Amino acid sequence: MRVPGRRISGQFRANLLTLAFILIALILLVLLPPDGKERAEWAQFIGRFHPLVVHFPIALLLLVPILELAAFSHRSSYLRLSAGFVLGLATVSASLAAMLGWCLARSGGYSGSLLQQHMWGGILLAGVCWLCWMSREHISEAKSGLALTYAITLATGVGLVAWTGYRGGQLSLGEEHLTEHMPVGLRHALGVPDDSLTSLSNPGPKTFYSARVQPIFAARCVTCHGPNKHKANLRLDSYRALMRGGKDGPVVQAGNVEGSDLFRRITLAPDHSDFMPKEGKRPLSSDQVKVIELWIGAGASGTIATDAIKDAPSGSSSPVAVAEVTFEEIDAAEVTRRRAEIAPSVVQLQKRFPDILDYESRGSANLHLNASMMGPKFGDSDLAALAPLTEHITLADFSRTAITDRSVTRIAAMKRLRVLRLTNTAITDATIEGLGALDQLESLNVFGTRVTSAALPTVASLPKLAQFYVGQTAVPAGASIPPTLTGKVIF
Amino acid sequence: MSNFKRRPIDLAQPEGVAETRSHPELRMALLQAKTRRHFLRTLGSGLGTLFVQTSLAKYANAANDAGLDFTRNASRPLSALPPQFAAKVRRVIYLHMAGAPSQLELFEHKPDLKRLDGQDCPASFLAGKRFAFISGVPKLLGSQYPFHQIGQSGQWISDRLPHLEEHIDDLCFIKSMHTDQFNHAPAQLLVHTGNARLGYPSLGSWVVYGLGTENQNLPGFIVLLSGGKSPDGGKQLWSSGFLPSVYQGVQCRSHGEPVLYLDNPPGVSRPLRRTMLDAMDEINQQTYAAFGNPETVTRIAQYEMAFRMQMDATDAMDIRQEPASVLAKYGANPGESSFANNCVVARRLAERGVRFIQLYHWGWDSHGADAKEALNLGFMDRCREVDQPTAALLSDLKSRGMLEDTLVVWGGEFGRTPMRENRNGQEMKYVGRDHNPGAFTVWLAGGGVKRGMTHGQTDEMGYEITKDPVEIRDLHATMLYMLGFDHRRLTYSFQGLEQKLTTVKPARVVAEILA
Repeated sequence: MRVPGRRISGQFRANLLTLAFILIALILLVLLPPDGKERAEWAQFIGRFHPLVVHFPIALLLLVPILELAAFSHRSSYLRLSAGFVLGLATVSASLAAMLGWCLARSGGYSGSLLQQHMWGGILLAGVCWLCWMSREHISEAKSGLALTYAITLATGVGLVAWTGYRGGQLSLGEEHLTEHMPVGLRHALGVPDDSLTSLSNPGPKTFYSARVQPIFAARCVTCHGPNKHKANLRLDSYRALMRGGKDGPVVQAGNVEGSDLFRRITLAPDHSDFMPKEGKRPLSSDQVKVIELWIGAGASGTIATDAIKDAPSGSSSPVAVAEVTFEEIDAAEVTRRRAEIAPSVVQLQKRFPDILDYESRGSANLHLNASMMGPKFGDSDLAALAPLTEHITLADFSRTAITDRSVTRIAAMKRLRVLRLTNTAITDATIEGLGALDQLESLNVFGTRVTSAALPTVASLPKLAQFYVGQTAVPAGASIPPTLTGKVIF
Repeated sequence: MSNFKRRPIDLAQPEGVAETRSHPELRMALLQAKTRRHFLRTLGSGLGTLFVQTSLAKYANAANDAGLDFTRNASRPLSALPPQFAAKVRRVIYLHMAGAPSQLELFEHKPDLKRLDGQDCPASFLAGKRFAFISGVPKLLGSQYPFHQIGQSGQWISDRLPHLEEHIDDLCFIKSMHTDQFNHAPAQLLVHTGNARLGYPSLGSWVVYGLGTENQNLPGFIVLLSGGKSPDGGKQLWSSGFLPSVYQGVQCRSHGEPVLYLDNPPGVSRPLRRTMLDAMDEINQQTYAAFGNPETVTRIAQYEMAFRMQMDATDAMDIRQEPASVLAKYGANPGESSFANNCVVARRLAERGVRFIQLYHWGWDSHGADAKEALNLGFMDRCREVDQPTAALLSDLKSRGMLEDTLVVWGGEFGRTPMRENRNGQEMKYVGRDHNPGAFTVWLAGGGVKRGMTHGQTDEMGYEITKDPVEIRDLHATMLYMLGFDHRRLTYSFQGLEQKLTTVKPARVVAEILA
């Protein structure tokens, strides 16, 4: 049974309730604006649901015009019936999201113009949704200009969703989250500036603080203690903010290194719960710690000159003294491509010579040949069998094998050799004299062979050679060494 | 179902059905054991597993630290694999000084401690600390030996290592090693397995698992002991833990038969042995085909390796083949069990392509409880025992061009205190120091390492680290880096975790010491 009066008043009550929500959020915002302090576990706990809930109004509100437009088609006109319900849901969820957003902003340590824009965008959106909903409810009865009002408010709502959502994304993912990986061509076409970092550099007189201390904070600390996120209400992006301190008071005591909480936290054991930067991030290097220590010890001044502190570790241009080790990801397709030419020969020859022939690494197409594992069973004819791979071998070890001077042309053809070991073999000066064209060779080992001083001029002509091992050969310890080999001959 | 209960056969190996065609009885038993319920049960979980596998695989790979693939031909589990990236080090010789040598008598020059010798230890040194034996207020103890600067690098060293000091410009000292264990066995386990508890694979096992070994006639990981006693951590120090046991260290003796029971028994000829092994291999292969247990492969591989080792191991361990001049340089005497002999063997094994050579020399626990463990007596003997052979090993490797791609590591399991040990609060007859996990010294030499440098620093007393602390797992990560691995990618799936040598804690490659 249909009772229009009841239905309308029920609908109206829901409308009023939602309006009340919006007004409460508005009042909270005006009376208790987010001030960047962290507080109240409950509020923060609830507030953390904001990023989750916020997706409902986005999707629901975008669905409304789709439903309305689709309903123009005769076949799907029934969709119009759903649009009102979906709009109602969008309004309620937008209001809820706005309240949760206030909880998060108020308690989670946020402030700044980005937040202000996102916040007012959200509130406005809730209001626009409500207007939109109200106007739609009354279209059918009055049939006046409400339809136009509805269309305009809906369009405004959709625009607001996009704008507010983008601001929210900037808050949580960084200001350039949409553009940072934009291809260069598109960047130019749209006029997006290329180097986003230029705006961060800080011109002005070179003080010790700006030249040595601030770069450390900028590189290691401001992601959490900066303009957009200030954990523990501490900001390290300016001298004034640093000296003001955080929620537990000042973090730097001028001249008192031991009493400075900032110094204490960066020098604790890395697994200590107070240690900074937080677990998972690399600790400051010892030089960085030293710079901060000396600066605090010298009075933590923002104005003293760069050269006022004498013992500060060098490396003034970059605050990190030693580059950390990085690991490159192996691109399997790329490796296969590089190896394509030689792979069949490698597989075939690995069967014939198990364990002595392999790639330099999992990502490399260079080959290492360690014939020494076969010992006297490896001879000149075996080396001939490796001919298809000659140009790819960068390390060859023939120690204790049966190779002789007859292999010299085959070895000399290994143009890319970096390391060549001929230890305890029957080779003589004739082999060494034939290796003059190995311009990549860095290490040559003839330990325990019959090589004599006559080989030295050829070896001296090798441009990259850094080590020439001549122990237990006919090269006497007192032999006159060509100047280019000074310090490179090892007896 | 009753059929199933009577025959407890592992049905988790469906490929076994195909592989056991030649064994009608086993095949019959497997087929009979399979019921409709069985089929339905596996159907559900099987489809579920497929779904989870495919949908979760994305996330596993997305983490960018998924383990590398270390699968090999099952019959050749030790075959060589290329490293993850081009590496400077191909093999490791690790000289472990079991008992923890005093860094304050060897490498740590602390004039302030010398000046305060005999004074009461400040209370701040004792607050919150645990010691093995020190009680009450101990006295500070200056170094027992004079120090001097030497070499182009101008590093300080005491007068106890006159041979080693000639190589000081080849050594890279880490004076800020840190451990969290202050008893020998767990501390040694931490150094060698990355974990203070039992059951984890040793460094050598991880390396051989990752790289295999080039010489299939010798084990890839060989352990040699000297000093009269095994290290406190025992055989666990070279165990393969949860890795297949084919990767465990093989302890060799430096005199007599290198590996016990390796030679054929009297009356058994080599061809007869071969025939016997062939028959056993066939049976083992059938067992593996049916049950797929990797330990069966280990068993086959070990029989085969033992057979090949009969010739090569005896040859490699026979230091009598070395010229007298070489033996004299090391101070080695064939026939006895000494660190010097083990160093000669280590060089011979390195030449033969053994991947990881682990030496332990026992007797460095200088508490001062008796003459043998006194800093002013027994400690001098230990220094004499290792000084000349270590120096000879370095110069031998260098002249043969092997120091280029061999990493030599020297160190104990923790450091020793700057305070003199006072058992029960009494002054003891001999001079000694207690355990100090807070700081100790390790040196590295060879491929991949900077020469003639010191990394890290301790306070004026040599008690605690003041600069660049290096955890054991950092040292492990650094060694694996030199061998061509990202320590996060050398993994083995066990108990639901991608297990790593460096455990789940973050480890750092000590970039400062890399050449």
